[in-house]
Amino acid sequence: MMVAAFPASLIRRLAPAALALLLAACGTTIDESVTTPRTLTERPATIRNEQLIGKWGVASYREEKDRKRVEAQARAQCRLPYIITKGPSDGVMMHLADDAKLYELRIKGGSDGKTYLGPESAPGEWQDREVISITEKEMIMRFVDPEVHGRYGTFIYVRCPG
Amino acid sequence: MKRGQPPFLPLATLVLALAAGPAAANNHRQAERISMEIGDEPGRVATAEQVIEEGPFARQLVFFRSAEPPGTIVVHTSERFLYVVQGNNRALRYGIGVGREGFQWSGLVRVTRKAEWPDWTPPPEMIARQPYLPRFMAGGPGNPMGARALYLGSTIYRIHGTNQPETIGHAVSSGCFRLANGDVIDLFERIAVGAKVIIRHGASI
Repeated sequence: MMVAAFPASLIRRLAPAALALLLAACGTTIDESVTTPRTLTERPATIRNEQLIGKWGVASYREEKDRKRVEAQARAQCRLPYIITKGPSDGVMMHLADDAKLYELRIKGGSDGKTYLGPESAPGEWQDREVISITEKEMIMRFVDPEVHGRYGTFIYVRCPG
Repeated sequence: MKRGQPPFLPLATLVLALAAGPAAANNHRQAERISMEIGDEPGRVATAEQVIEEGPFARQLVFFRSAEPPGTIVVHTSERFLYVVQGNNRALRYGIGVGREGFQWSGLVRVTRKAEWPDWTPPPEMIARQPYLPRFMAGGPGNPMGARALYLGSTIYRIHGTNQPETIGHAVSSGCFRLANGDVIDLFERIAVGAKVIIRHGASI
């Protein structure tokens, strides 16, 4: 395949620009605040595993105007919740993007002041999610990889009762 | 298959289609819950402007003998074509993707609602296979429902866009009809709520 002829690192670097062009062609608003993956050093995380563990209604959106109604939709999805459990070591069991297998993911504080969730690696790596906000009842995350973020948008997790 | 030939609408077939009507559609509601279960790629981005530009599935004006009034949609599942009756024995023809074997249907319905960049709720069967998906995805370029949707009667069948334009001409869904995003945008502008939609499953005579 043609893609295989290019180094993965090059594709990674070009992906944000390509996505921006693609979305611009669609007339879609681009969230320019999306994290650009870069090497960060790790700092102590400000959130704990226990804050993530539980049952969540999950929905996603791309444009801020949709956020409120998507939040309501996430709440309605508790009939088919996303379940986060404690991992065997110091993480939580969740999925990566486009992968049906469960992995133990770790909360990582980044030197940029943000909090990330992902496999054992430096914070802000491509497979990580950025935890944008978290409360007892709701958390908002997005994938660090701009290509994945462009496809799925921003995820809202609303804690399910019980 | 008779692609490229003018389709006819024999009275007997039309009567059967009308008789099957909403009942046939209702019988397939459950099946439609797994529409887009097979081979869909939620999250994949397709540009809104994408149209089928060449070949039999390109949008084109064709000869079409029909007694239906202009503005009526006639779907020929077996031919993978959707026609918008123009009058004077002419119709605008679009290439479509249709329900896979066992999930095709026929009937008479009306367009009850139109939506731009419709939201999408993956069916539970899809969530079971792809548990990383959001349970609800707001409308947008990565949404498998594509750029526009026409809701058919009280069923959960729709005529919609797609983020997989290469599936046009194939039997891939569980009963919805999909067009390339650029084409469904064109169709959306031409069709009013209340428009009659005739879905024909059998081959043309």
